[in-house]
Amino acid sequence: MKDMIERLASKFNIKDINEHKSNQVFFTAEKIDIEGVILYLKEFEKYDQLTMISCVDYIEDGKFQLTYLLRNYDLNNDACIRVYIDRENPTMTSINELWAAARVYERELKEMFGIDFPGCPRVDDPFVLEGWDTIPPMRKDFDTKKYSEETYFPREGRTKKDPTEQMAEKMYPVEEEVKKSITKVFRDNSK
Amino acid sequence: MSLKDIISPFYAWKRAFEKPYTIKDPVNRKAADLYRGFHTNDIEKCIGCGSCEEICQNEAIDMVEVAELVATKGNSGLKPLIDYGRCCWCALCVDICPTTSLGMSNDYTWLSEDPEVYRFVPGIDELPWANESEKGYKRGDESWLVNGEREKMPEQEADERKNTFDEFQDGYTDEQAIIEANRCLDCGICVQACPTHMDIPQYIKAIRDGKLDEGLRIMFQTNPMVEACGRICTAKCETVCAVGHEGKPIAIRWLKRYIGDKTYDRKDEIIDLKPKPASGKKVGIIGGGPAGLTAAYYLRTLGHDAVIYEMHDKLGGMLKWGIPDYRLPADVLQREIDYIIRQDVEVKYNTKVGKDIMLEDIHKENDAVFVCIGAQLGTEMPIEGLDTEGVLSGVGFLEKIGKGERPDLGKDVVVVGGGNTAMDCCRSSVRLGSDVKVVYRRTEKEMPADEIEIIEAKEEGVDIQILTSPVKIEKKDGRLAIECIKMELGEPDKSGRRRPEPVKGSEYTIIADTCIMAVGQKVEPEIMKDLDIKLTRWGTFEVNTDTLKSNQDTIYAGGDCETGPDDAIRAIAAGKKAAYFIDKQFKG
Repeated sequence: MKDMIERLASKFNIKDINEHKSNQVFFTAEKIDIEGVILYLKEFEKYDQLTMISCVDYIEDGKFQLTYLLRNYDLNNDACIRVYIDRENPTMTSINELWAAARVYERELKEMFGIDFPGCPRVDDPFVLEGWDTIPPMRKDFDTKKYSEETYFPREGRTKKDPTEQMAEKMYPVEEEVKKSITKVFRDNSK
Repeated sequence: MSLKDIISPFYAWKRAFEKPYTIKDPVNRKAADLYRGFHTNDIEKCIGCGSCEEICQNEAIDMVEVAELVATKGNSGLKPLIDYGRCCWCALCVDICPTTSLGMSNDYTWLSEDPEVYRFVPGIDELPWANESEKGYKRGDESWLVNGEREKMPEQEADERKNTFDEFQDGYTDEQAIIEANRCLDCGICVQACPTHMDIPQYIKAIRDGKLDEGLRIMFQTNPMVEACGRICTAKCETVCAVGHEGKPIAIRWLKRYIGDKTYDRKDEIIDLKPKPASGKKVGIIGGGPAGLTAAYYLRTLGHDAVIYEMHDKLGGMLKWGIPDYRLPADVLQREIDYIIRQDVEVKYNTKVGKDIMLEDIHKENDAVFVCIGAQLGTEMPIEGLDTEGVLSGVGFLEKIGKGERPDLGKDVVVVGGGNTAMDCCRSSVRLGSDVKVVYRRTEKEMPADEIEIIEAKEEGVDIQILTSPVKIEKKDGRLAIECIKMELGEPDKSGRRRPEPVKGSEYTIIADTCIMAVGQKVEPEIMKDLDIKLTRWGTFEVNTDTLKSNQDTIYAGGDCETGPDDAIRAIAAGKKAAYFIDKQFKG
């Protein structure tokens, strides 16, 4: 695997190389090189399978990190290629012509993160979210709770109790009356 | 059409006689051991804090009342009801649960035509299917979403601090306060445990939001002595803190102190109290301790005049005369008192009721009276030799320290008692340069002192001798010979603590220069016997515990003189309550 990395490094600008396991290596490639790196690994290093494409939203850095996982069955090892792309109007080169399987992943990434892959067939069709009308749900700025509140109506007759209020009501009703009243007077007569 | 097109459908038949991959009975198929299925809840452990409800992103959880489960200290009695029409099995609720009561079984298949059965309270509702609680997803320490470690208070080491009465804790830095505030789950289980029911989650949130001015206002709604409480409060809130079940409780007291430290010099401006229009009513407050000061503050807020009768030349009561400077510096207490007095509170210093003025006169001069004289008289053990020179009472000794005196106690000091007063006495004696022993008749577990006080006293070199009681004190060669006897624990008494009984023939003698008796305090109700206020058999004032009203119309009593010796926060709660009910009586 070391040899593979050396050969790759002589052709492309790759960095942050770490071997997580003896048969799995991660490294970061330039966005512009991605097609070349993957094509090279597929054609010359016998990485026959695209295992998956995943994404992490680094909202604080304004970046998405895409990770391409390729597998070489002969040597029983994985090459994992990280690429960082801008979070604003994210677009990435499609690799669907290298592996048809990439179409599924790219379509999923389009739906879940809003990353566009121009040229990928049916990339704009819904993947699992039919009729989704707000920002992609896997983005970190997607507020799941707010979405639930706005989208799913509360069940009829649904009730809930607040633990603090429950304890006040059951354990110290007189003191709660004192507290509420004094609090109100204090608030009305102070800043 | 090619030949291939005709033949290809028959390829499927080539596996016709192989073992199928599909499962015959998919409904009863067992899931993997760690599968996240329907929830389980250990009702014994669940404290009803509602953190699961709070974190659920799908609003699938409601905290509901459950028959036969009532709210108790540290437990709201509520339990989570889960709606599986909303649950997405993400297990955030399990990962936040502070007690590890909530888990998930690996049961996930369950068919019913009745949608209502998919809403249930795990651990309470009987389910028509087996719930294998051992399997499924459980939270480990590493997946807890809460930081269980407390921020360490910057403080001097024992060797340094034991030489000085200066305060030894510096208070949290801004960064530490935020980290500590971020640990709070915002559940509010602590509010009940606080005698004055401070809005703890709200002021901790104010720290998180960087709104310290608002934090101060939130605290003042229920307690006008936040700087003192931020240092010396017994912090009962921390003993029930949800995070304390599996980690260290939130340092609520230090966070309170943090707000106080950051806002004290702008307090008038931040609060800007403008009392209600003057009612023309006047309340006499006997005793200028935490109860009296609090009552005065809220009575002023309510538009009534307040006049405090104080027997010393300074206010503060036991905060001033009972707590040494290293725990609560005099200037911090004084600036807090000054703020309260600035709200047009009248104070008559050096005025002892029963000596300089009679209760009856105070009663006549005012429209109502609040008696909060504390429990400042040291109780005595029934042993020989208490009048020997060199035997001091704990409260008397601490009062001297409070006045700034630094008496010479000699090389060896013995403190008798196991409460916070005993701890204040022994740690003050260490600071006066003595070697100190504490003798206590039960074991350390039964000591009423706060745990941290015991730990810090030991760090400072105090030798705590448990299961020991003095029986006789006499003068021998210019020193004190304190005869002690070893005790053993017998059956539990009324307080639930095991009664200590002497071990025959185990007497031994400790030689010391000073012996400080800190074995309890009592009220001095005789000073107001000119009006017939009913007393309990413990010599405390008997009042209606809901309203603090005594048997005399317009006379109220609260604080230590009503409860017996207790902590400052309970006195503050009493002061607030008295102000409310006195106001209520005025309004008719």
